[in-house]
Amino acid sequence: MTKLKPGKLVTSLAAATLLSTGAIQVSADEHPIKLGAIYILSGSAATYGQFAQRGIDLAISEINGNGGVLGRDLELAIEDSQGKAAVAIQAARKLVYEDEVDVLMGLDSSGVAQGLVPTIPELQKPLIITHAATPDVTGNLCNAFTFRISTNVAQNMNAAAQIAAESDANRWTTIGPDYAFGHQSWEFFGNALKDLKPDVELMEDTAFPRFGAEDFTPFINGVMDSDAEGVLISLWGGDLVNFVRQATNLGFFEKDLELMFTVGAATEVLTALEDRMPEGVWLATRYWYDAYDNEINKNFVKAYIDAYGNPPSYNAEGAYAAVYAYKKAMETTGNTDGPALAKTLKGMSFDAPNGKVTFRAGDHQAMVSPNWGRSGPMHPEHGIRTLEDLRIFDAEKVSRTVAETGCTF
Amino acid sequence: MSGLGAALLNSLDIGLLLFVIAVGLNIVFGVLNVINFAHGALYMLGAYLAFTLMNLLGLSFIVALIVAPLAVAVLAVIIDRLVLRFIYERDIADSLLLTFALLLIINESVRMIWGSGIHTVQPPELLRGSVGIFGDTLYPVYSLFVIVVGLVLVAALWFIFNRTRAGKIMRAAALDRDMAEALCINTKLVVTGVFAFGAWLAALGGVVAAPMRAVDPGMGDKIIIESFIVVVIGGLGSFPGALAGAMVLGLIHGLGGRYLPEINLLLPFIGMALVLLFKPNGLMGKGANA
Repeated sequence: MTKLKPGKLVTSLAAATLLSTGAIQVSADEHPIKLGAIYILSGSAATYGQFAQRGIDLAISEINGNGGVLGRDLELAIEDSQGKAAVAIQAARKLVYEDEVDVLMGLDSSGVAQGLVPTIPELQKPLIITHAATPDVTGNLCNAFTFRISTNVAQNMNAAAQIAAESDANRWTTIGPDYAFGHQSWEFFGNALKDLKPDVELMEDTAFPRFGAEDFTPFINGVMDSDAEGVLISLWGGDLVNFVRQATNLGFFEKDLELMFTVGAATEVLTALEDRMPEGVWLATRYWYDAYDNEINKNFVKAYIDAYGNPPSYNAEGAYAAVYAYKKAMETTGNTDGPALAKTLKGMSFDAPNGKVTFRAGDHQAMVSPNWGRSGPMHPEHGIRTLEDLRIFDAEKVSRTVAETGCTF
Repeated sequence: MSGLGAALLNSLDIGLLLFVIAVGLNIVFGVLNVINFAHGALYMLGAYLAFTLMNLLGLSFIVALIVAPLAVAVLAVIIDRLVLRFIYERDIADSLLLTFALLLIINESVRMIWGSGIHTVQPPELLRGSVGIFGDTLYPVYSLFVIVVGLVLVAALWFIFNRTRAGKIMRAAALDRDMAEALCINTKLVVTGVFAFGAWLAALGGVVAAPMRAVDPGMGDKIIIESFIVVVIGGLGSFPGALAGAMVLGLIHGLGGRYLPEINLLLPFIGMALVLLFKPNGLMGKGANA
């Protein structure tokens, strides 16, 4: 053991003092509560992360303006998942261990969710998923810390199947991205539709272009040459923008097909397409800003448009609502302890722009309905298509039963 | 049969656009010995400039087609003089690192300037809609335009490389820079000029792509991966190689998506693996030089 020189001793003492002052500050209750968010902030789908961040910023500024949560301000730490599971796992660890966030939220892609969710229990912080839709994370991959505030593929496809069953189309095919989301959408849609209308034909000929394929012409030609009567289209983001423009060029929308876009009413996509999104096709979204006639929604939509100039997308709403869900959970629990918050969230109900939402105790999936509608005339102010014949479903009826999800804690 | 015809035209459309991008990558490698990771970002800049000129300033497609690639070429000269010239003589891995940094810088700048949103550019009035080519099968007019542009560029580039003094100087500089210098060729000027020309081609591809593909912050990353596949299949540094590689990948996408949808994701990589196994230098990698 070496003996400390006096000079060194002084420096060490000074350092120790500094450290302990820091420690005192950290333990004081005035320091902000930190929310850790993980979204896609770069690349083709960066617009989704941007909408989510705006939703969070809006909720935080409202809450902090009204005295915060437990007397403390909320603060956001946000990380880019780049749409990759490995990056998201690193981001979650950085948020929890380095930035010392109290809770986690986010996730834009099913692939990312499937990779990240199994690692959440080791972080001991709750995660509210606000966008990624794979049924697995509130199914066979479910765990005590993971919740989802947005609709999942099963809920959306059960609703879609009801609309499809009412239509005249009897032979269905699909065009979707070649990963979990596209394949699971088709699988859940097919099973639900068969239950409702057993004589319907699910075609063998399906199209799953690579995510980010850019050129969808070969796949569009394929569907146009087939004898399909209905097409389920689960492309999203830039892929969907490319698809619609290329399909328009090829006369795809002039054919007499029943078309259902499972995430077509994302305002990110509608803004890019403007009046190039055809009229009269079925478009779905987790949340449509014009679908809910309640005070919370009216205030949210107005505040969002005032702040950012365009109506909120479902991703903005999911992120906004998740902040309020955490607010309620923290106030109910009385602290920000991770495992305690997860217990509180289980079965908790709260008010969101899309009405009263409950995290079902059995699988932690929010009981919410997708919004389906037919694309109508352009909105005079917002520059996007309106939705007509809006359909909101009974969340209990379109959700799988807990037994069906395969979730056990 | 009509389906096959349309699929072949698709392949040509996809392949020729890829050629325009990949040939720039290839020329730059041939002469500068630099693998330009930022090539896709320059393509994206071309598309964003077209979006700015057409949607925000209300100028015509023709103006965008002329102005945007020139602007990107000027930027390339600046990049070359500021940073790239220091690594010509270094190991190729250094150029990868440097151009990767450039890619990140351009990507983030694009997001800061134009935002994260997805944008679309409309084709000019004349090139909208579709025409019946194979009986009742419709084909987009704009895709035919892309094919024409691609073919014109193939012919023009072949002519430049084989029949003009500038082309011969470029090939000389690619083969042996010291010897070229000894013969009183200003290789510095050649090298800068070639990098600007490669950037011009990338941006031209971006402008041509803008009316049919979403203009978004990820478009550069997508095209650079495809371009690398083209280069691996065709052969690095070879002009006929870029054409062959682009056609093979175009056919893989055009026919694979249509007739083998289950494995279309794998096909480009199977193609790449086969080429690497049997012709490690690419289809045209040996003997043929830009």
